[in-house]
This record gives sequence, C-alpha cells and structure tokens, in this order.
Amino acid sequence: MSIVISTHDLCRTYRTYRKADGILNSIKGFWSRQYEEKRALLPTNLTIEAGQIVGLVGANGAGKTTLLKLLSGLIHPSSGGAEVLGYSPWQRKSDFLRQISLLLGQKSQLWWDLPAADSFGLLARIYDLPPEQARRDYQELAERLRCTDQLHVQLRRLSLGERMKMEIIGSLLHRPRILFLDEPTIGLDVMAQKTIRDFLSDYVKTNSPTILLTSHYMDDISQLADRLLLISHGSMVYDGTVDSFVASQVANMSNEQTDFENVIRVFLEQEYRSR
Amino acid sequence: MSFASFWNRNIGAARLAILSHLEYRIDFFVDAIVQPTLSTGIELAMWASILTVGGLTQLNGFSRASYLSYILWALFVGRVSANWAYEMEMDEEIESGTINAILLRPISFYEYYLSQFLGYKISTLFISFACPMIVTLVFPTTVIWSRFPGMLALLFFYLFFVHTLSFCVSCLGFFITRVKGITGMKNMALWVLTGESFPLDLIPEPYKAYVLHLPFASGVYFPVAYLTGRVGAEELMQAFVSVAVGIVVVSIFAWLMWRRGLREYSGIGA
Repeated sequence: MSIVISTHDLCRTYRTYRKADGILNSIKGFWSRQYEEKRALLPTNLTIEAGQIVGLVGANGAGKTTLLKLLSGLIHPSSGGAEVLGYSPWQRKSDFLRQISLLLGQKSQLWWDLPAADSFGLLARIYDLPPEQARRDYQELAERLRCTDQLHVQLRRLSLGERMKMEIIGSLLHRPRILFLDEPTIGLDVMAQKTIRDFLSDYVKTNSPTILLTSHYMDDISQLADRLLLISHGSMVYDGTVDSFVASQVANMSNEQTDFENVIRVFLEQEYRSR
Repeated sequence: MSFASFWNRNIGAARLAILSHLEYRIDFFVDAIVQPTLSTGIELAMWASILTVGGLTQLNGFSRASYLSYILWALFVGRVSANWAYEMEMDEEIESGTINAILLRPISFYEYYLSQFLGYKISTLFISFACPMIVTLVFPTTVIWSRFPGMLALLFFYLFFVHTLSFCVSCLGFFITRVKGITGMKNMALWVLTGESFPLDLIPEPYKAYVLHLPFASGVYFPVAYLTGRVGAEELMQAFVSVAVGIVVVSIFAWLMWRRGLREYSGIGA
C-alpha cells in the first residue's frame, strides 16, 4: 500500500485575544490587548496508507479538527510539514483540491439559497465534470441516501438530516481520493445516523477512498474505521485498531461493560480530569 | 487546466448569482428597478429645484439639460458600478468561516466572487438601464447614443477594479475579523469620488484634477459624462488608463494581503 498522507512534526498554534469581563476592560482593550497562544496540535508524525479508514477520537478541543484542517489545506501550520497525495496541502494546488474533500458536519458547504441540484450543477462545473455524468452520479447517490425527493428543494428549507445527506453527495460528487469527514452525523437522529453510516460503509467498499473520520458517536468509528487514532491535548496518544485499544483497556475496567463506547467514555473522563 | 474549464466554472459562478437572486423575486425587482428609480426621482427633483430657484440656465459651463441627463444616468450607472453588496458577502464569508467551502475547492475566492458579481451586474444592467433609456427617449436630454458602447466598455472595465478593491478590503477580515465599518466608509468615499453624488467637474481646481485622475472617477463620472457629452474621447481614454493603473496597484496589495491572510486564517467555525 502506498502512503498518501505523511506529516513531519506538524504543529499548529492559535493566537487568541483574552479579554477580562466588563465595560472598563472593553474600553481598555482599545489600546491594550492581551493575547495568548494555544497549541492546538503538538508536533505530530503520522503516516496513512491509501484506502485506510482512520477514526480520529478525542475530547472537544483535543486537536482533531485542526489536524483535518491542516491536512486538507484549509489552514497553514505553525511549523512542521505534511504531504498529502504528494502535495503540500496549504499550497492549495488545483490538482490537489480536485482529489480531496472535507465535510464539516457543523458547517454547510452547499449554497443556502439554492436547491441541492443547482449546487451540484455548479460543483460539476467547478470540478470540470461532464454534466451528464455528474447528474447521473448525484441522482444515484441521492437514491442510495434516500433523499431523491429533496434534490429540488431550497437547501435552507431542508431538515438537518436531509441537509447532511446533500452535503455528503456534494463532497463525493468529484470522487475524491481522500475524504476528511468531521463529525458527519452530528446532531442527527438515530435513524439518520444509521442511514449515513450504512451509506458510507457501502461507499467505502465500492470506491476505496482513504478516509479520516472524526466523530463523537463511537458507532461511527467502530463500524467504519479500521485504524483508531486517539488524540489528547494536541498529541496522539494511541495508534492502533479499535479491538486492540479495547483489549488494552479491559484490565482497568472491572465491573463495567467493556465495549468500545464505554472504553472511550472512560478515556474522555480521564482526559477532562487532567485539564 | 484548460481555458474551457476556467471559462466553464466562471460561467457556473455567474449563473449561481443569477439563480440565487431570482429565488427572491421581489428583492430582485426592488434592487434592479424600484430603488434606483426612486433615488433618481429624488435627485432629479432636487437638481431641478436648485437650477430653477437659482434661475440658472447654465452651471459651470453646462446646460440644465446636461445636468439633468447626468443625474438621470449617474444613479443607474452607480448601481451597476457599486460592489458593496458583494463586498459585504465577502466580508461575511471571511468573518464567519463560510469561506472554507471555497478554499477547499478548485476555484479562487477572487475568481468566484468576480464571476458572481459580473453575472449579476450583466443580468441587471439591461433591466436597470431600461428606465433612463425610456426617459431619454421621451424627454429632451444631451445623451449621445453613439457613445453608449464606449460608456459600457469603461463601466465593464471598472468592474474589475472595484471588485479587486473589494477583495482587498475583505482580506482585512483575516487580520481584524470585522471589516463592515471599513466597507461602509469606503462606500461613502466612493459615492463622492465616483461622481455618483454630483458631477466631479464641479469640484474646484486643483482638487478636480487630482480626483479626475483617480480610477474611482471611472465608476460613474467618466462613463456618464462621456455619454451625456460633458467629456470627449480623450478623457475617456485617460479614464481607461487610470483604471488599468488602479487594477495593477490594488492587485499587488490584494495579492500580498491574501497570502498573508491565509497564513493567519484559523478556519473559523469548523
């Protein structure tokens, strides 16, 4: 298997304005501001092979989304480097962007004022796809996600679950080789989560993309991921399979059900206590 | 990347602008026709009153008909050359992080908004111009119809300049987050410097010479003054040169700010 993602001491620090509360401090902030630096991702070395589905798990603010944003080229690193499909992501070369997709569960990437079908038409033009092939593809994907009826409804009028299905179709239309999925099932009901999970599982079998997936729903990770990365305070603390991780934690979990969900819950509780 | 795919995606973005605006029919109608018609009515009434009360048949060497023609066309041309609505959208994209969707796709932010801006302007231009055209056919004005293509060419060229300027302002959002105040201030300055509020030839020397050499004057003053006979072909050519220089200068700033801005950007909201 070839390596499609590799990072070398990849690191990102954010600089944020820290303001004390109250009007006087707001006025003071006009001429004097205090900034603090937060290291969202500590130097990270990572390699991912083509076709792997990697589940990235960690508490809120652990650095998962920062890693995805760096690898997709959305943000620049503070130091270190990365190669994705042979490209430096943040150079945002057109040939690189045609081969990846980043789906942000908390952020719509389609056009709010248009029906999804019109958005897909524009995406086909942006990615230079033959219009007929694009139409066939989005209709097929919509059938598999059971949302054909919603293709011609303005995006802003769709429910969260329907909208997420459209976002998924939009992110797959150009058949990306690498798919970054940031909480694709967030806020969805159990049935919508299952539909999307089953769809992704099926899609992976037929198209074999490389996937980096973050989710707070452990069913997403356990069903889809064949490799687990645990991230804590910006550092990778575990890299292996889901089963190995569960097995390694069983000894510490007497009197508890030792399934993946519980093991991760214990991990996250420890994570919060250590903050 | 072929020219065909470049053209194809830009046509797609222009089509997006037209589709988006047509989703909201009333807003489109008000923006393209009602608002400029009302504004023109008010301006025409004001200038007609000034000229009548002052007992003026000429002002600064130009006739009453010349002023009224200028005012009639200035507001509609000003509507076409203004970019504040798209600039606000660009500001908002950077402030809220919705720019992520563009950064992750093989189309540049500049190109994406330029295509939308041009698409919308071209689609509304002929609807907006219907009003002054009808008035010009019914009432006596100083419009020289053979100059209409030259006026349109300068106006179209100016759209590239004003978009680049808007791109530059929106890039400030990478550094200071909220730039809507700057956009408002810039638009207020442009309202005067383009000649939308009054003909720039009323400015006393030497300030008039400075203002007329700026590219902003090609947003309203030169296109309308050329169409209504206040300036000739030589001044029109000078306006093209000013806009070309303006595009080069602003593009350099825009490129530097964009590059630096992306380094600062933290992918907000994701």
